[in-house]
Amino acid sequence: MKALQKFLANLDVKIKEGPFKVVHPMFGAINTMLFTPGHGTTTGPHIRDSIDMKRFMGIVIFALVPSILVGSYNVGHMAGVEGLFAAFMFGFLKLLPIIVVTYAVGLGWEMIFGHINGHDIHEGFLVTGILLPLTLPPTIPLWQVAVAVSFGTVIGKEVFGGTGMNLLNPALTARAFLFFTYPGNISGDSVWRAIDGYTGATPLSAAAAAPGPAVDALNSAGFSLNQMFFGFVPGSIGETSTIAILIGAAILLITGVASWRIMLATTLGAYGMALIVQFFGGNVAGGMRTLPAHYHLVMGGFMFGMVFMATDPVSAAGTNAGKWVYGILIGVMVILIRVFNPAYPEGMMLAILFGNVFAPLIDHFVVQANIKRRLNYGK
Amino acid sequence: MGVFKLKKGYDIALQGSAERRLEKTPKTTAVAVQPIDFRGLRPGMKVEAGDSVSRGSILFVDKQKPEILFRSPAAGTVREVVRGERRVIQRIIIDVAGDATEKFKSYTVDQVNAFSTSQAKEVLLNSGLWPVLRQRPFSKIADIDVSPKAIFISAVNSAPLEAESDMLLDGLEKQFQLGIQLISKLTEGKIHLSVSAKTKSFFSKIKGVELHEFSGPHPAGNVGVQIHHIDRILAGEKVWYLSPRHIAQIGSFLSMGEYPSSKTYALTGSELEKCYYVKGTEGALVSDLVGSKIDNNTQRVISGNVLTGAKSAAQGFVGFYDDMITIVPELEGRRFFGWLRLGLNANSFWPMFLSRLTPQKKLAPTTDMNGEERAFVSTGEYEKVVPMDVLPVHLCKAILVDDIELMEQLGIYEVAAEDLALCSYICPSKIEFGDIIQKGIEAMEKEG
Repeated sequence: MKALQKFLANLDVKIKEGPFKVVHPMFGAINTMLFTPGHGTTTGPHIRDSIDMKRFMGIVIFALVPSILVGSYNVGHMAGVEGLFAAFMFGFLKLLPIIVVTYAVGLGWEMIFGHINGHDIHEGFLVTGILLPLTLPPTIPLWQVAVAVSFGTVIGKEVFGGTGMNLLNPALTARAFLFFTYPGNISGDSVWRAIDGYTGATPLSAAAAAPGPAVDALNSAGFSLNQMFFGFVPGSIGETSTIAILIGAAILLITGVASWRIMLATTLGAYGMALIVQFFGGNVAGGMRTLPAHYHLVMGGFMFGMVFMATDPVSAAGTNAGKWVYGILIGVMVILIRVFNPAYPEGMMLAILFGNVFAPLIDHFVVQANIKRRLNYGK
Repeated sequence: MGVFKLKKGYDIALQGSAERRLEKTPKTTAVAVQPIDFRGLRPGMKVEAGDSVSRGSILFVDKQKPEILFRSPAAGTVREVVRGERRVIQRIIIDVAGDATEKFKSYTVDQVNAFSTSQAKEVLLNSGLWPVLRQRPFSKIADIDVSPKAIFISAVNSAPLEAESDMLLDGLEKQFQLGIQLISKLTEGKIHLSVSAKTKSFFSKIKGVELHEFSGPHPAGNVGVQIHHIDRILAGEKVWYLSPRHIAQIGSFLSMGEYPSSKTYALTGSELEKCYYVKGTEGALVSDLVGSKIDNNTQRVISGNVLTGAKSAAQGFVGFYDDMITIVPELEGRRFFGWLRLGLNANSFWPMFLSRLTPQKKLAPTTDMNGEERAFVSTGEYEKVVPMDVLPVHLCKAILVDDIELMEQLGIYEVAAEDLALCSYICPSKIEFGDIIQKGIEAMEKEG
């Protein structure tokens, strides 16, 4: 271990001063991943919490593991591969290249900006690099992934000053970019099954297109509530299995990484709005308005977006009161988009981006309230 | 009596709290008075190396306010006037010898009660004990020309391993009461004394104060937090505060007619085999107080507590306002895959390590930063350790962008660096909230 540390220390100096300076941010990240940075405190507090960003982001990745496992299996399952392991391997081999491309391209950009701004690669990208592939269909062309990651990283994050300064969630920015530039590869009925010749609507589009009550249409398409809960339906790789996402949510909540306020508020917002829509929906024969409220929670990207995207602390509202408003706003928006937007049955991505855009404004009002309380004190 | 039960905050479970017993007084070989203990002070020297001094001799004065005197805590010879960068005077070291003592007039309780405000000020300034009074906002030595809205005293000990007020004041009840009589002359407002369930019995008979009881995790004992809950500081207002021990010191001066420099210290921290209280001299040499050997390379000596204390050393001295020494292990080097560890012994506010399952277990963390500085990422957790209606992240961001008006609106007057020390402690991005607050306070001072 000592020898390895010494080797790394020598290499560190060589890279910093050598012609390959540009890779130093990457080297620094690997170096401190292998061994803790080993910096001591100089002033008070003389002791510090054992937590660091690596642990923080590492926990998010850990929480994504159930979604990766079940999602991979489901990709194989949807393509008609028989057998648990065979289906998993089939799906995993579809997912892996997407992850590799995301990391390679994204880390490349991070390295360049780290070099320009003089810091190591920040741990936030490790999460972005997994989140994005899980929100994509298994058939996505890899070059599109590369373009999307570039957009998400550079325009979504680095132009704002890098991790911590970004307004929008970078993974969602990348996904939204794909959605608007190459809609044929990320929506519709033909992209969800990773095998040629098969097409299949997602449960959301089945519900949207239902001529009669949505639940009947879902059942006749083979999408029972159970199946949607366990995730054996067409959809983006990581977002189909509600149970896998809930395990991840439990990890995030127990460890305090994600805000329970945001998760609860988003759920309440969506459920409440779905009830309202159903109640005042008018006398329609079919479509989304006939979908029971609890179905919304297990369908499409709602659960995944709420647990892993809406709770991104950088792009979410930062104040505790603001988190309630932010979550409810996202929940309400997702139902409105799902129900009243005829073009596209999924609303979670846009609802969260919408929430991201409004988060600073929401925080502004919370901060103003704090200032007002201070001014009014003693009066 | 106001009762304040604070919920927010955090107690770090550390090894090495002082047993409640007083050990024999060790020999004092050297003491120091450190101008750097008094923020913003520019000393006007009255002695130089080689001079003989008595206990109570004037060592230096405040250049801007020469009425504020700093007196020697012991008799002997000035060994050195230590200067740091840009020749800033850091400390005056005195080799202790003999017991020559400067004599002052002593006062009875009735005489003190008959003092006018200006008499009380004059006596306190002449005693050399004026610097025990500090002022908020800004946490500096109290301004002589100010009439404070109120004076606050915290006898609540919530900081990690903090010395307990009743141990520090053992046998000094009368002096404490006399000190209260004097400082009550300094304000038209109230004297607020906060106690905890532990220290309540000692202070319950004290007259002339408004008693408050605080409970809850650290920083419930911070005077800034208490001021926030009892009577907040608004723009333009000034309050003073001082520690209970310093009140007793004022009382001792009045009744003895000598500069009282004997004080009790708590010796704490996981690196000490035995932790206890010990009598010593103000500005004591660390190695005089700590019986065992200290290795400066492997052990961190802190004057004060682990959160807000100053880095010292075996040959260093205890700060003017500090009642304790904490010794913790220095960082041991780099840990293999440290971020992946299970963390049975990881000190953490976050429920991300196995140590969470044993919250009562006392740990012995080193001075490892446990990470590197990153951008602000986490939100919502800092508020959990700040029991005030203050938004720590927004306040810090206002300071970072130099927005004076916003700092004021977000409550810069109400906080000191120590009040947000726990934010720095729990921060996964390793952001130095204390430094940022300090920078904000300095910007506000410049602005006037």
